[in-house]
Amino acid sequence: MSTTFLPCGEYHESYREDHAWWQTRFIKAKMMLLVLILFVGIPLAADSYWLSVCNQIGYTALGALGVQLLIGFCGQITLGHAAFLAVGAYTSTLLILEFPWPTVLMDLGLAYPISIFIAAIAAGIWSVLFGLPSAKVKGFYLILTTMAAQFITVDFVITQYISQIGGRGQAFSLPPGTIRIGPWVIDSDLKVYFMMIVLVILFTALVANLLRTRVGRAWVAIRDNDISAEVMGINIVRYKLLAFFVAGFIGGVAGAFWISNLAAISPEHFPWFWSLWLVGVILIGGVGSLHGVIFGSIFMVVVMELLQMAVLPLATSYPKLLMDFLFIKEAAFGLAICAFMIFEPNGLAYRWWQAKNYFNLWPFSY
Amino acid sequence: MGEAAAGDAGDVLLEARDVHMYFGKVAALAGVSLEVRRGEIHSVIGPNGAGKTVLMNCINGLYRPQKGDIFFKGMRINELKPYQRAALGISRTFQKVEVFGGMTVLDNIRLGRHIHLQSGILSGALYVGKTAREEIENRQFIEEEIIDLLEIEHIRHKPVGMLPYGLQKRVELGRALALKPELLILDEPLAGLNLEETEDMARFILDVNEDPRWNITCLLVEHDMGVVMDLSHRVLVLNFGIPIMDGTPSEVQRNPDVVRAYLGEEDLYATRR
Repeated sequence: MSTTFLPCGEYHESYREDHAWWQTRFIKAKMMLLVLILFVGIPLAADSYWLSVCNQIGYTALGALGVQLLIGFCGQITLGHAAFLAVGAYTSTLLILEFPWPTVLMDLGLAYPISIFIAAIAAGIWSVLFGLPSAKVKGFYLILTTMAAQFITVDFVITQYISQIGGRGQAFSLPPGTIRIGPWVIDSDLKVYFMMIVLVILFTALVANLLRTRVGRAWVAIRDNDISAEVMGINIVRYKLLAFFVAGFIGGVAGAFWISNLAAISPEHFPWFWSLWLVGVILIGGVGSLHGVIFGSIFMVVVMELLQMAVLPLATSYPKLLMDFLFIKEAAFGLAICAFMIFEPNGLAYRWWQAKNYFNLWPFSY
Repeated sequence: MGEAAAGDAGDVLLEARDVHMYFGKVAALAGVSLEVRRGEIHSVIGPNGAGKTVLMNCINGLYRPQKGDIFFKGMRINELKPYQRAALGISRTFQKVEVFGGMTVLDNIRLGRHIHLQSGILSGALYVGKTAREEIENRQFIEEEIIDLLEIEHIRHKPVGMLPYGLQKRVELGRALALKPELLILDEPLAGLNLEETEDMARFILDVNEDPRWNITCLLVEHDMGVVMDLSHRVLVLNFGIPIMDGTPSEVQRNPDVVRAYLGEEDLYATRR
């Protein structure tokens, strides 16, 4: 499902045209409109609540992007991705709070951007560490080794040791004004939103580019058939570790981004369930599709918000619902995954592809 | 490439010397030696379980023989991993098609160009300048040299997993060619093909062997005797891991041991035709 049909009357005359992202004038206009909506429409139209929902979607998408890269494109099933988000978030937080930044950098507001980059590298390296078993093990066994990443990182290292730094015990609070990029202090949902939208677009584009060049093709080849990939000249171990690095890197960025939205960070922000959740996002969105990452994130976050909206009014007459909301949410998550696995195993992205082709081929769809 | 014409009994490209391969106590290969000269089509035949595929896997690096040496272009390659051997110029197709089912035909063939491309994580992610140019040049090469040769223009954007078996075999050959190998190992390229597809495939093999632009030395494992005898310059016969003889097709056909081991009492051409 990688290519859609061109609409009638559209022809490519050079390979460059055939390699372009936006292949027709209509698509170009459509994408420009999308950019306009994302950068102008939503910030104008949405109130603080819906902006925070968008931010949640963006955070989920950034996390799921790494998971998609590993599971959907490289075939390395991972159930510990929240660990790398945690590494990113904690590295960034600690750098901001504890590192003796030169005043020049502080004044320029570069501390946070630099810390994001370092956090991403740290998370990438940490991810490679837990990707090492992938050189020898596949499938089920790899799932267990990636789960180890979650428990070692979050439940052991961060909870027991990192959290003790500075004698704080549990959470690191992020005082207002510490998170700033250049002259802007990231203190409102709107500013977080802009940061989110830039990061999501940037990383989606970077990964999309990777997937149409040498490295990305090697990943997909390893997913589809690792023996023939090796025979075709791909150093499998190296490319698997590269995939873990890039996935960890994006995870680190996601984690470091998310602290801008939090007043304090604690290990509870990165539970194992969140790793599972990210896998659920790509299952629903479509495994092996970048559209799937976005659609899955939107679907999951919006459905959960709608669920909340439905439950809250009921809670006035059934107060227990409020207490049980966490379980309702988890049940809905399970139900959604079951439903998708049975009725649309290719995910929302496949439906999107079908819809696009339907319109491109209309009225002669044979 | 390009200097040694086909059939010109040139230098030895690949040599396997006294290769032994055991699985437990089963001797899959017991002292097999093989010399493939540049520009030849060298076939390996033998009954099922004779060790033909094992020999290919040893040459290709998927198996490590317990004893014996393998030389490629005069260099001992026993210790090299499959991807390192690919970089030296050894490519192969598999008996059971091993294509990348989720990728399009074009991407499968592009993947075969892996060792000829340069882009890495950063340059690939940015996709500017050199990387973009490289992709376009690569595309041009694939379209003009491989897709045109193999006549698969109509399916270039289709996912390979959805194609019929015969076309998958053809895509697999295209992917192997994309590596621009010096030695192409063809493990039963005709298995499961109908007569027309067999003829096409035989023509492609002859093309890449004889066309001066390709000039690829082929190591062919095949059961279809008609094709083997017509295409090959030399034939190695294996039986239970033991080499019976190595000679020209006509010598092989005349050898009574070969006839007894493999061909039965029947005429050589009985399998098809």
